[in-house]
Amino acid sequence: MKPLSVTLPAIGLRVMWTYIATGLAIFLLMLLVGISMRGSQAGWWTIEPGTFYSLLSLHGIGMLTAMVVAGLGTLWYLVSRETGLDARVAYLAYAFFVAGVACVIVSIVPGHYGALWSMLYPLPFTGTYWPTWATGAWLVGTALVMLGFMIWCGQILGALLARYGGLGGVLAVDYVLHNRAFAKLDHEPPPPQIFAAAITAIDGLIAGTAGLTVGVALIVRWLDPTVAIDPLWAKNLTYLFGHTFANLTMYMAVAGIYVGLPICTRRAYHTSVPLVLAWWGTLLFVIIAYFHHLYMDFVQAESLKLVGELASFLAAIPVVVITVYGAVLLVHRSGMRWTLGSMFLFTGLIGWVVGGAAAVLDSTIPFNVDLHNTLWVPAHFHTYLLEGVVLFTLGWVFVNLEQRAGASSGALIRWLAGLGVFGGGALFVLGFYIAGAAGVPRRYAVEPPPGPYLAGIATVGAILVLVGLLVVAYEALRLARLPRSEVAP
Amino acid sequence: MRRPRVVGLVVLGVAVLVAGLPLLRGPIELPVTQHHLLHAALLVGAALAGVLCGRRDALRRASPAWIVLAMIAPILAMLLMWPSAYSFFEQHPAGHAFEHVGIVACGFLAGFAGERFAAGVGWATGGSAVLMALLAAFGFGVAPPTAVPIAAVAEPSLQPGASGRRNTGASSPAQPSHGAMIYATNCAVCHGTAGEGVSGPSLKDERTRKNLRQTIEWIENPAPPMPKFYPAVLTAADVRAVATYVQTL
Ligand code: HEM
Repeated sequence: MKPLSVTLPAIGLRVMWTYIATGLAIFLLMLLVGISMRGSQAGWWTIEPGTFYSLLSLHGIGMLTAMVVAGLGTLWYLVSRETGLDARVAYLAYAFFVAGVACVIVSIVPGHYGALWSMLYPLPFTGTYWPTWATGAWLVGTALVMLGFMIWCGQILGALLARYGGLGGVLAVDYVLHNRAFAKLDHEPPPPQIFAAAITAIDGLIAGTAGLTVGVALIVRWLDPTVAIDPLWAKNLTYLFGHTFANLTMYMAVAGIYVGLPICTRRAYHTSVPLVLAWWGTLLFVIIAYFHHLYMDFVQAESLKLVGELASFLAAIPVVVITVYGAVLLVHRSGMRWTLGSMFLFTGLIGWVVGGAAAVLDSTIPFNVDLHNTLWVPAHFHTYLLEGVVLFTLGWVFVNLEQRAGASSGALIRWLAGLGVFGGGALFVLGFYIAGAAGVPRRYAVEPPPGPYLAGIATVGAILVLVGLLVVAYEALRLARLPRSEVAP
Repeated sequence: MRRPRVVGLVVLGVAVLVAGLPLLRGPIELPVTQHHLLHAALLVGAALAGVLCGRRDALRRASPAWIVLAMIAPILAMLLMWPSAYSFFEQHPAGHAFEHVGIVACGFLAGFAGERFAAGVGWATGGSAVLMALLAAFGFGVAPPTAVPIAAVAEPSLQPGASGRRNTGASSPAQPSHGAMIYATNCAVCHGTAGEGVSGPSLKDERTRKNLRQTIEWIENPAPPMPKFYPAVLTAADVRAVATYVQTL
C-alpha cells in the first residue's frame, strides 16, 4: 500500500510543536500545584483541606491532559509522515482541549470544585461545599476534553485505514498470520510507531465512548436531580475511561522510543512478529484492565476481578519486555553518544519498567488487599508518568532539537538535568513507595505518621525535579535558537 | 456506489417506521433498561443506514465539520434518552415517537458524518452511538438494586447498659429509625442499602472496627473520597443517629 499523499513536514512539525509546547506548559504549572500539595502534606506550609482537594482535582486532570496533548502531537506528526492528514482537524481537536481546560480551571479557581479528577458518582453532587455550577463547569470541561480526544482518534483511525487498506492492514494481521507469503510479496508491515498510534485511536474511541456515556449521564443528573444513576455502573465506566486515558499516555510516548532511539543510534527499529503480538495484547487488554480498580467492591462480580488481574498483566508485560529488549539491542554497541535526547529516552525506559512492575504488583489481588488506596498507588503511576512518559517526551523533544541544530548539550548541563529530573524524581517517588508500603492512605490532606516525614523528603525530590526542568527549559531554548544545521549532532 | 445507498435508505425507512410505534401503541410503560435497549436497536439500524449512505470518494478531502458532527451525534442521542420520571416526551405517544425519530436521526448522523469524513470511521462513530445506548441500559436512570428494606431495622437504645449491638428490629419493625432514614438518603448510594458496599466500602460489622464515638468522628471529618455531610447537610444529632444505625449493620 502506498500513501495517498504525505503531509508536508513543516505542517506536521507545526502541529506537533503546538501540541507539545501546550502540553509541557500545562505540565509545568501542574508541577507547581503538585509541589504545593506535597509540601503541605509534609507540614512545610498549610493548605486548608477544601483547597487541597480542589488542587488535587486540578493536578490530576491537568497532568493527564498535558501528557495526552503532548503525546497526541507527537503521534500526529509521526502518522503525517506516512499519510496525508488535514491539519485543520488537529487544530479543531486542540480547540476542544483548550475549551475543556478553560472550563476545568473555571470550576476550580472561582468554583472550588473538589471531587477529584475521577469524579466518582455521587461525589460531585452530595455533601459538597462548592456551588452546583462548579460541578457543571467541571463536567462540561471534561466532556470537551474527551471530545477533543475522540476527534483526534477519529482522524488518525480514518487516515490509517486508508493508508494500510483497512483494519487488518493497520494491525498487520497478514504479516503475523501469513508471514512467509507476506514477505514473498515484498510487503512491509507498518512501522512500530504506527501501532502506538492505532492502539491509541482504537482504544481511545472505545474508552472515550464509555467516558462520554457516564459524562453525559452525570450532566443530565446535574440538570435533573431526579434522574437515578447506578453508582457501581458509574464507577465501572469512569475507570474504563480514566484508566485507559492515563495508560494510553505511556503507549503514545513510546513512539518516541521507536523513532527517537534509531536517530540516536543510527540503526532502525523494525516491526517484528513478537512486537505486533505484544501490541495486540495491549489493544485487547488495556481497556479491561481497569477492573483492578474495583477489587474492593463487594458487589462487583468476582470473575471480573480475575479478568482485571489477568488483563493488567497481559496489557503491560509483553509490550514493555519487547520494547525494552528491542531498545537495548539497538543501543548495545551502537557507539551512541549520550546527549540529553538519548539520555532521557533511555532513562524513561527505566521509569517505565519500575512503574510497570509496581503497577503489576498492585494489580495482583493478594497484594492489592494491603496496597489498595495507599500511597503505593500514586507511587506507581508517578513513576511511569514522571519517570517514564515525561522523560520520553523530553527525550523526543531533545532528539528533534539536537538534530535540527546539529549540536548537543555539554556534560555539566546533562548532569544537572539528569540529576534533577531523574534523581529528584526518584527521591520524590520513593517517598510515595515507602509511605504506601507503610500503609499511609492516599488522598489525605493531612497524613498519619510516617506520612509527613516522608512527604518532606519527597518534596525535596520534587523541588530538584523543578530545578532540573528549569535547566532543561533553558537548554531547549538555547538549542531552538541555534540556526538549522544539516550536520548530525 | 448507488446500491449501498439504496439499501441504506431502506434501512433508514424501517428504523423511522419502528420509531413511530408509540403512535400505534399509546403510552408504553417499560423498565428503563429495556427502553434503552430498544433505543440501542433503533440506533443499530440508523447508524448502519448512515454508514451505507455516507460512503464517498476516498481521494477527496473531507471537511473537518464531519468528524465533529459524527462525535457529537451520539451525545445528542444520549440526551434524547434522558430517563426523567416526568419526561413530557415519554408520556405522550406523539412526543415519544418524536423522541425516537430524533434518536434515529442522531444515529444516522453518527454513521453518515463519520463515513463522509473518512471511509471506515462511520463504523466507529455509529458503533459509538450504539455502544452508548447499550451501556446506558445498565445505569442511566437505573437505581442500584435494593438488598434489604431499611424499614426492617430500627435504632438501638443508646441508654447506658444497653448492649448497642445488633438490633433485630423486633421492637418496632414498621418504623424506620431516623438514623436509618438518613442512611438511606445519604449513605446507601455508596455503601449499599444493607451496608454491603457499592462504590464505597462495606459497613458490615463496622462496630468491630470503630465504636460509636469513632464512627461519629469519622462522619464529621471523613477522608475523601467520602463526602463531608456535617455540618452543611447533617446536624450533630443526625450524625449521631446515623452513626448509631451504622453500628447495627
Ligand atoms: C514532581 C512532580 C509532581 C508532584 C510534586 C506531584 C504531587 C502529587 C501529590 C502530592 C499527589 C497527591 C497524592 C495523594 O496524597 O494521594 C498527586 C496525585 C496525582 N498526580 Fe502528581 N505530582 C507530580 C507529577 C505528576 C505527573 C508528571 C503526573 C502525570 C503525568 C501526575 C499525575 C497525578 C495524578 C493523576 C494524581 C492523582 C489525583 C487523584 O488522586 O485524584 N503527577 N501528585
